[in-house]
Amino acid sequence: MRERKKMVLGVKDLIDYADDPEADDELPTEPMKVNMGPSHPATHGTVRIVLTVEGETVRDADVQVGYLHRCFEKESEYATYTQVFPYTDRLNYVSPMLNNVGYALCVEKALGIVDKVPERAQYIRTIVGEMSRIADHMTCCAAGAMELGAMTIFFWAVKGREWIWELLEEISGARLTHSYVRIGGVSYDLPPSLPERLRALFPKIEAILKDLTDATLENKIFRDRMDGTGVISQADAVSYGWTGPTLRSTGIAYDVRAAHPYLLYDRFDFEIPVGSKGDNFDRYIVRIDEIRQSIRILKQALDQIAPGPVVIDDPRIVLPPKQAVYNTIEGMIGHFKLIVDGIKVPAGEVYSHTEGGNGELGFYLVSDGTGRPYRLRVRPPCFAIVSALGQLIKDAPLADIVPTFDMMNMIGGECDR
Amino acid sequence: MSEPVKTVALKIDGQAVSVPAGTNVLEAAKTIGVDISYFCYHPGLSSPAVCRQCLVEVKGSPKLVPSCYTPVAENMEVFTTSEKTLVARQQMLEFTLVNHPVDCPICDKAGECNLQRQYQSWDSEPSRIDEDKVHKPKMVDLGPTIVLDSERCILCTRCIRVCDEVAGEHQLEMAWRGDREQLTTAPGHVLDNPYSLNTVDVCPVGALTAKDFRFQMRVWELYTTDGICTGCATGCNVEIQHAQGRVQRLVPRENEAVNKFWMCDDGRLTYHELAKNRLGGARVSGAPKSIELAIAEAASLIKSAGPGLTVILDAQSTNEDNYAIAKLAHKLGATTAYLSRRAPDPSKADKILRDADQNPNSKGARAIAEAVFGSANVKPVDDFDGAGLLVAIVLGGHVSAETAERIGKVKTIFISPFGGVLADAATVVLPQAAWAELNGTYTNRQGLVQRSRAALEPPGVARPAHELAALLAKKLNTTWEYATWKSLLKELKDTVPAFAAAEAGRERPLVQLRFAHSRG
Repeated sequence: MRERKKMVLGVKDLIDYADDPEADDELPTEPMKVNMGPSHPATHGTVRIVLTVEGETVRDADVQVGYLHRCFEKESEYATYTQVFPYTDRLNYVSPMLNNVGYALCVEKALGIVDKVPERAQYIRTIVGEMSRIADHMTCCAAGAMELGAMTIFFWAVKGREWIWELLEEISGARLTHSYVRIGGVSYDLPPSLPERLRALFPKIEAILKDLTDATLENKIFRDRMDGTGVISQADAVSYGWTGPTLRSTGIAYDVRAAHPYLLYDRFDFEIPVGSKGDNFDRYIVRIDEIRQSIRILKQALDQIAPGPVVIDDPRIVLPPKQAVYNTIEGMIGHFKLIVDGIKVPAGEVYSHTEGGNGELGFYLVSDGTGRPYRLRVRPPCFAIVSALGQLIKDAPLADIVPTFDMMNMIGGECDR
Repeated sequence: MSEPVKTVALKIDGQAVSVPAGTNVLEAAKTIGVDISYFCYHPGLSSPAVCRQCLVEVKGSPKLVPSCYTPVAENMEVFTTSEKTLVARQQMLEFTLVNHPVDCPICDKAGECNLQRQYQSWDSEPSRIDEDKVHKPKMVDLGPTIVLDSERCILCTRCIRVCDEVAGEHQLEMAWRGDREQLTTAPGHVLDNPYSLNTVDVCPVGALTAKDFRFQMRVWELYTTDGICTGCATGCNVEIQHAQGRVQRLVPRENEAVNKFWMCDDGRLTYHELAKNRLGGARVSGAPKSIELAIAEAASLIKSAGPGLTVILDAQSTNEDNYAIAKLAHKLGATTAYLSRRAPDPSKADKILRDADQNPNSKGARAIAEAVFGSANVKPVDDFDGAGLLVAIVLGGHVSAETAERIGKVKTIFISPFGGVLADAATVVLPQAAWAELNGTYTNRQGLVQRSRAALEPPGVARPAHELAALLAKKLNTTWEYATWKSLLKELKDTVPAFAAAEAGRERPLVQLRFAHSRG
């Protein structure tokens, strides 16, 4: 009989590397191209990063955006000014109300009616906007933590976001694509119970924030991956055109709400949280603090808001009441012309900017005097921010890409339009 | 010699304006872009000043004056946006709307309605009247082409004046008085003049609607393309208004030199032919074949013909189609050309717009045939006898039955948008794009070369004859230097005196009527 070697599965002759004099030497590597995305589980956004890696180190990164391009700007040229609102919902789809408000303010500036929008409408816009900002920042922080492995934190935060979206759904009728704001005001008043329910929500959200910070601020794994990674200098951040929480993480206290107050922001007491190092952790903590500031603004707005009309009283801008549309020729014509031709905006061009979830959300509008934009350009905050991604992850370990990308909070809908 | 026109200087809203004497204030204001609202005035008609919508304030005049009826005067000062004027304008609109029905959702005019536009521009306030509206007859059949809705009528009398001053027939009249006043035909008469559909265009509201277009399409969804009417030799400038892949209506386009603001009813209805009896595919000996096979067959036919080749040009086709086919035939050995055309119809001629010649391009086709073959070698198609001929390239094929029989004796390559006797008899049939589907020019009876633009896609594999000529030339290895219809027109312009003034014009994006004023 032949002698057979006995083979035990799973057991090999292991070399004891501790005794190996060559074990500490770098293994020889050569640059390799790796595609990250466009569909990658750890990038919450459709973006393709072509990485040149040497071992675990990123030597070069080619960031390619545009996978979510929907011709927002071109489509807007073929829609009446009012019909553009649903498109703006899909810009930063985590905080659609902020886009609604930003766009409405731009058209109102072109119409010269910014000051004539009723005060209640401006409070409502502030309230829904700040609610959206809370939802936006919570999503960013939660998703960021999740992609570093902290699944529980994600569920905590998204639970809170869902409470806010429930209220926004009650206000607007839609959980995500609100299209709630109108040129000259908002489409309808807040539900009567809203102030009370929103106030009841604040302690719950603050509790979530506490849980969030308790679980992350002292967490070694979290801090190791966030501290000192993705660092950007103030000068670089400014030259890249960064705005919003990411800019403030470098210590520059630029917030459109404070620097160029719009709506009623100059009536509220709030602070601008800033970071000091400009790293991923600062971006995280700035957002957490901004949620607290938003709650502060909301509390003041709920105290100050008074009953009144929620939309401007101008038949050339606002649809007549349905009673008049169905029963009088005057109402019928008004309705008809506003729907078919749109609101006539005087010829000219305006730029209007607001503080969106990610930073300065600008709309640049050219009107030729008709009911449709001749050109509508969006300045998406995260487009400028993502343009620095390649620089930030260059020569960094592969593992830094995910936290850096997460804390930039690229929203494809907004970045790619 | 006419005397130099005297100009008058005046001020409108503080702006200095200088216009010829006799111009009315409303037209003078238009020259500086000031929009004075009006209903009854029409630049092509007389001014009765009945609607009172164009009232303006004039310095020194105790009352507001109707700007459409007031000639300009030296040093006149007009205020079109003074408070007095604006209040008058707004109150006139409120007054006009008192008895207007809530019909916009079912009204064909909605979207291009002057009343809607003026109300939204100058009033947009609710009415202060709380009375029932006066009801008047609806769906009144005025004649073979028009339906009247008296409730919508704002009594501007434009339609009456169109019939009087353009068609020269007094067929419409106002009856009754006050808020019961309504438009009517005289007892026993109908609105049946050949220009009746112009009343629909001039109607500022939806009171007069065309039976042809009624309830077919919401107007703001139409796309508009500039074309030329192919109904007769006048060559009225039209807008081809189309949607959903077919022409929905033709409306006149202003051209002071040709048709002013008008066109005839026959011309408006020519678009119906585009949907009938169309050739969409190629045929060889009656059997459907691919365009490549048909071209190959046609090429071998032409090769076999040698000097026995001839060509029949067509007064219905564009100059470029005719020129391409004529040029190709001439290169391949044809020495004579025949001209086919739709038979003239003297009963349809008048001194207004309609011409007995039922072809849009008689002059152009003749000029091209004579330029290519020499005037001695161009004959009318009725002289076609087939003697010594083997193959004929037939464009259009608008011939009488007897001539068709004679043509049928030779082998034919038939190029036309429409089927018929010649198509059935032809050896090769190549489908041609029809007038609404191609870019090109037509030469009208005055000798004006006018551009028509493609509004639709041709059916199937149909294409302009000049493209078919290019395919044939390639198959026959003949030099062919005409890449587009524009290069054909350019050569015509450079070589044929009749085309010296021709211009292709610039290409334009397709415009939907709802956007026409923002991009057009």
